[in-house]
Amino acid sequence: MSEFRPHAQGAARPALAIRDLTVDFQRRSGALRTVDKVSLDVWPKEIVGVIGESGSGKTMTALSAMRLLPHGARIGGAIALGGRDLVDIGESEMRALRGDRIALIPQDAMQSLNPTMRVGRQVGEPYEFHRKQSYGAIWSKVVELLRAVKIADPETRARDYPHQFSGGMQQRAMIAMGLALDPELIIADEPTTALDVTVQARILKLLRDIRDERGSAILFITHELGIVAELCDWVYVMKDGKVVEDGPVKRIFEAPKADYTRMLLEATPSIHRRKGAKR
Amino acid sequence: MTTAARKPFNWRRWRLVVTGGTIVGTIMLLAILAPWVAPYSPFDLNVAQMLKGPSAAHLLGTDELGRDVLSRVIHAARLSMMVAVLASLVGLVFGTLIGTLAAYFGGIVDLVLMRLMEILFSFPAILLAIVLMASLGTSIFNAMIAIGIIFIPGFARLARATAESVLRQQYVEQARAIGMSHTRILVREILPNILAPLLVEAAVAFSYAVLLESALSFLGLGAQPPDPSWGNMLNTGRGFMGVAPWLSIVPGAAIFLTVLGFNMLGDGLRDAFDPQLRDE
Repeated sequence: MSEFRPHAQGAARPALAIRDLTVDFQRRSGALRTVDKVSLDVWPKEIVGVIGESGSGKTMTALSAMRLLPHGARIGGAIALGGRDLVDIGESEMRALRGDRIALIPQDAMQSLNPTMRVGRQVGEPYEFHRKQSYGAIWSKVVELLRAVKIADPETRARDYPHQFSGGMQQRAMIAMGLALDPELIIADEPTTALDVTVQARILKLLRDIRDERGSAILFITHELGIVAELCDWVYVMKDGKVVEDGPVKRIFEAPKADYTRMLLEATPSIHRRKGAKR
Repeated sequence: MTTAARKPFNWRRWRLVVTGGTIVGTIMLLAILAPWVAPYSPFDLNVAQMLKGPSAAHLLGTDELGRDVLSRVIHAARLSMMVAVLASLVGLVFGTLIGTLAAYFGGIVDLVLMRLMEILFSFPAILLAIVLMASLGTSIFNAMIAIGIIFIPGFARLARATAESVLRQQYVEQARAIGMSHTRILVREILPNILAPLLVEAAVAFSYAVLLESALSFLGLGAQPPDPSWGNMLNTGRGFMGVAPWLSIVPGAAIFLTVLGFNMLGDGLRDAFDPQLRDE
């Protein structure tokens, strides 16, 4: 791959580097390989999209970087977060990194908030666990975070319970939690799938602003081409656990090299093509 | 959906809770205030007044030793409530602990803990209670422990089943993703979310504890005379059924009312907390 990658210029090393990652599940019938020799980089300040259909291994790849794979999964290959190895370190070391240096924004925000705890308290949890600050100090940081993700009246809303938030606000709260400690890498696993398009657009803008203002690298997992086109700098296309192609967004959309990418692009309904097909 | 308008009080949904709660509350209050509410001491003998029917001086009559039945039944409530509360608490605490750990760690931990629970569960409750009492010795404290042990497997199963479903929730996964430890996940994420059904179960366990305590005392394994207990009062009353029926009727009615009250409270709470029955 010798395509020009602007974010790689002048950066010492990628925020996340994955080399020959394999994820196997032991089944009675033998090992089931869900991720097959995947290599990908996310450079500082870069938004990288991973796109693929259901079962292509994109979520497994992302969860490997958090070491949050389901029970019975075996990881092979190398994963490094800013040069630190993530495969061989102990569970307690990994726990110290989660939510601090590497954060996850989940798919379904409603399901990801504990219904019995106030939103503010949950958003403050990364401070509570990783920084051990006083309650008052954490609370003012939480209000600041909620304001940063554009929640109106954050002082009051921080005292709300999750069900009192709308879907978009819940997702903003999850993003705030992810941002809390300015992680080197934010992994967003289809964070807008459960939201309607207008809210989606606002969340995407928010993610872009975060990248611009805070300089976090973002790994964005999705199956929606439109989002990739709008948000990402660099794209990896995955199919059956393998990366079939990667490159800058513009080139991938305009001149896809792999057959699968072309198929994927053609499978997306477009208003122009329908007009043309009418004849 | 900033601030949902407060819904008007739904009497139909809460009627069982209110009725059961009133009965239970009254009995609890009588139990706590027994020394001040009871007209006589439960131990004062008065041979001149023995086996007297209900009168102005003795509202519920007197027993074979001339003791005031009303005072004895009130003092017995004290003992029954104490046993019920503590036994349910023993069951709730240990059952929740065992069930949650089994669900959380799964595998061999789950297997061992739940098989142990099933062994306990396979004994008929009253038989198990008698066996435990026989090995622990007869005292009201041991009766409480024995009843508590009987409750553990029920709570453990409920806790495990509820915890299993909570564990599959995304917010537990998210808790891991921000680096929470096992203990914190158990205490902050799982426990608060499994508590509602367990508390309902505790209300039901209460009424069962009252019954079991009465049964043990009836058999002479619980409260020892002269300490009054509904069970041993019933047992004494048995011998005077023809001449002094109030000796059996009064403690029997007390047991009936208490069990009814707790069951209503338990059923009512379960329905009120059931999201599928909500807002009908």
